[in-house]
Amino acid sequence: MFAFIRKFSLVDFSVNHPWLVVIFVLAITAAFSTQFPKAQIDTNPKHMLPETSDVRVWNDEVDRTFGLYEDVLVLGIVNKRGVLNRETLGKIVRITDEILKTKGVAARDVSGFPTITNVSAEDGTLKVAPLMAEAPKDEAEIGALEKTLFENPLFVDHIISKDGKTTALYIPLEKGANGKEIADRIREITAKEKGEEEYYVAGDPVARDTFGADMFRLMAIFAPIAGFLMFAARYLMFRDAFLSIALMMDAMIAIVWSLGLLIGLGFPIHIMSSMAPVFLMAIATDSIHIFNEFYFRYRESGDKRAAIIDTMRTVGRPVRYTALATAAGFVVLIFMHIVPVRVFGGLIAFGTIALRILSFSFIPAMFVFAGEVKLKEASAGEDIGTGRTSRFLRGLAHIGVHRPKVVIATGVLLIVVAIVGISKIRINNNMIDWFKHGSEIRTADRVLNNALGGTSLGYIVAISDREDFIKTPGAMNYIKDLQRDLEKLPNVGKTFSVVDYVKRINRVLHGDDPQYNVVPDSKETIGQYLFLFSMSAKPSDLDSVVDYPFQRANIWVQLKTWDAKAMEDVIEAVDAYKSAHPIPMEFKPAGIAYFNLVWNSTVLNDMLKGFILALVAVLAILILNFRSFKCALVSFAPLVFTVLVIYGFLGFIGKDFDMPISVLSCLSLGMAVDFAIHFMGRFRLRLSEGGLEDRESIANALLWTAARPGKGIVRNATLFAAAFSVMLLAKLTPYITVGAFIVAMMTLSALMTMITMPALIILMRGWLPKGGSI
Amino acid sequence: MIRRFIGTVFVLLLPVTALAADATEIMKKSQAAFLYPGIDFKARVVMRLTAKGGQERTRELTMLRKNYGLPGGNQKYFIYFFKPSDVRDMTFMVYKYPAKDDDRWLFVPSINLVQRIAASDSRSSFVGSDFTYEDVSGRDVESDEHKLVKDEACGGRECHVIESVPKGGTNYSKKVSWIDKASLLPMKEEYYDVRGELDRTFTSDEVMDVEGHPTVTKRTMKNLKSGHRTEAAFEGVKYDVGIKDDFFSERYLRNPPKELIQ
Repeated sequence: MFAFIRKFSLVDFSVNHPWLVVIFVLAITAAFSTQFPKAQIDTNPKHMLPETSDVRVWNDEVDRTFGLYEDVLVLGIVNKRGVLNRETLGKIVRITDEILKTKGVAARDVSGFPTITNVSAEDGTLKVAPLMAEAPKDEAEIGALEKTLFENPLFVDHIISKDGKTTALYIPLEKGANGKEIADRIREITAKEKGEEEYYVAGDPVARDTFGADMFRLMAIFAPIAGFLMFAARYLMFRDAFLSIALMMDAMIAIVWSLGLLIGLGFPIHIMSSMAPVFLMAIATDSIHIFNEFYFRYRESGDKRAAIIDTMRTVGRPVRYTALATAAGFVVLIFMHIVPVRVFGGLIAFGTIALRILSFSFIPAMFVFAGEVKLKEASAGEDIGTGRTSRFLRGLAHIGVHRPKVVIATGVLLIVVAIVGISKIRINNNMIDWFKHGSEIRTADRVLNNALGGTSLGYIVAISDREDFIKTPGAMNYIKDLQRDLEKLPNVGKTFSVVDYVKRINRVLHGDDPQYNVVPDSKETIGQYLFLFSMSAKPSDLDSVVDYPFQRANIWVQLKTWDAKAMEDVIEAVDAYKSAHPIPMEFKPAGIAYFNLVWNSTVLNDMLKGFILALVAVLAILILNFRSFKCALVSFAPLVFTVLVIYGFLGFIGKDFDMPISVLSCLSLGMAVDFAIHFMGRFRLRLSEGGLEDRESIANALLWTAARPGKGIVRNATLFAAAFSVMLLAKLTPYITVGAFIVAMMTLSALMTMITMPALIILMRGWLPKGGSI
Repeated sequence: MIRRFIGTVFVLLLPVTALAADATEIMKKSQAAFLYPGIDFKARVVMRLTAKGGQERTRELTMLRKNYGLPGGNQKYFIYFFKPSDVRDMTFMVYKYPAKDDDRWLFVPSINLVQRIAASDSRSSFVGSDFTYEDVSGRDVESDEHKLVKDEACGGRECHVIESVPKGGTNYSKKVSWIDKASLLPMKEEYYDVRGELDRTFTSDEVMDVEGHPTVTKRTMKNLKSGHRTEAAFEGVKYDVGIKDDFFSERYLRNPPKELIQ
């Protein structure tokens, strides 16, 4: 009784007072849209984890202890004929000067030829000074520079490539500086220099901030295009511009409400929530089932008002339960760890509920305004006997009904193959890979990683419980050996620590004799060397590798890839080394590479946990819907099948299971189950109307379901595919992934619903509960 | 009438040239008062180096200085380190020449080596502190253009405010000094970087009269960009100790006389 009032009174009310409902909805929409100017954007993946999270607290502590910078840009300068010539070196000096004057650049610690500290001995004089304060004037000076560069292991692979064709300038940024803006400024500076040199700007901040800027630009382009395509597809389906607009407004209104609420509550828009419009547009397409049924009913009765109310009575239940299932898939995210994941879950769940409320109010109200003449013309084609689509769908279901064993056997085989594929899935995340292969950012990263030690940076902090322990020859040699061990890893390009300074000074103080390129054997000597070094070097030179009480040393690990996996390998190697060679020191990872590893595994774990929880929640909703565990299980099958096949495919093509994919898995749940809910619900309703439950009646009911509500399913899937196929043209790979994933998921789950569900129902008809009553 | 007119013009023109001359003159006198008082000088210097995060390092040393010639001329410095403890007995010697690079030597006791150290950049850090060599031993007054901006009160004293712009070849764009009119000591200095942003500030935190010489006994240099700062306290300041010329030699670097360094 209560359900009756809640469900039908809203529809009746909307049909009786359409103007009131429309004006009310638009007024709420206007109210939510007033929040939009307050929108704040936050694309920093760092903020995915709260400031109080262990990794951020620890990374901040490491940054503070060693005076490190969160963000460092790398400018690569390449000259195919070698950079060690007067013109190129002159350019390097000019470019460096300009970069030092750029706002947001931490000028004191920019590191490159003109600024890097060089420890050398000339004519018995120890020199600790910038390597190349001014450009060399003649060949002799260039020769001396070349000798200095290649003799010093601190420089090779860091600021000069082994082949002498690439040099790099490391540009730390002040806190809060925008990486993209500074990268753009650097590109302006280098564009002023003419000549054969090529310039590449790389580094985490430029990738991150460029991604942030591009992301919003893409959303601004693709959301309207997707919207327009959906509109066009709908128009082709229903031949009524007014109703097509109504259907689109439904999605737009829900987007405005959800984003308005998000902004109004003071949440910034993160990478994840920026995808909300597209997600909601996708979820909104479910209302197509209302249109589908309405057109059938209207053609049959010719009474618009009655058709609306009857339609809502018939599809109301599946529409409500699909909404519930979708919402459940996102609501579980609210219970996860990561704030943006929780916000995203809440946002989409709210939007889904809003969409459904609109389905029962705004949409029926809009139907009232639809022109009768146009409707009559358009609905004429809606006949399950003659319509081409319906005939085709009936044919699909026919396979399932008459060849159930073949269908199920094929399905099982596919599942087995898919599971093999899933076992090959590699969990990884790489922000640089979010850009296309030929993009400026990815090219820069590739060029620099090929030539030098690597653009990604991790730290291994050696911690002792005793002051001055780092100065002992034991600790020094241990760190040195650990570095050599780490350098064996394929993705580690270079490592660097306080030991490298000590060895360098030892050699220089002994007449530059290579034999002395070792750690001295007394703690006193090491202490005095380091003091000598700190007397003339930049303060940050020593600070960045050792703490004040010489209790902690910071080992820099340059990585040649932004794969989160690379840092994981480093950590494993450190642990293995430590257990093979015990020492009273602790080794803890830090730095941006470590952060990326942690946040990405946290997001992935959260999403994975959410995914499993959502599976359970969706099954529970199916049970609630059908009041039958068995029916729920059968309806669950297409979902499980779709998900398995997609992930199996990902495993086979070698696509990493990354952040965007993990986010999609939640969407896939809520969406892939929709078709089954509609199919099962309508099938049981049809069957109960007939009264008979023999094989013949079941088969007929299945074929009818495929032809009539099935048309709604196919329309829904087509709309989806149309809208999301645009994203295949995006220039950021996560959006391409989203597009491809959704197109695949829709097609697959529609197919599975139309073929495997009839097969399952036929095979299990003895086991399923009798009586289609719902 | 005409005479009065010319007189007015003259008076109007006068300050422009006179002020620049005045400013350079004030800077010269200030340098003499700050870095050249007495024939020689000795002090125990305790430096506290503090990083942004609050971590501290200590440097404790005895500094000896002797002037050669007039204020603004050559000087010799001898430094003996007490702290950090593993550098005890390390000594450091500088021959300072206003118009050319310094000569520097360092004695490394653990390997018993006297090492000559190149002094290519007088703007580099002095023993890892926020003070540069130039801040400790002075910058040639003639290498900057000085301008008297105004006079104003600073910390209860009357000060000249002088802006000094390097004539070139250095890593800062401008220095503004507040020079106490009475003692001629700099009470405050602000250094601006090449972007024109305030980079470092110097303050004289305590001034004491020692044997008739007003002496800055506590001073701080703050690096605003890195958040690092160094406080230096001068204890047991003595003038005209009678340091002999041959003291500034390799022999004493290796083996400094106890009574001088204590």
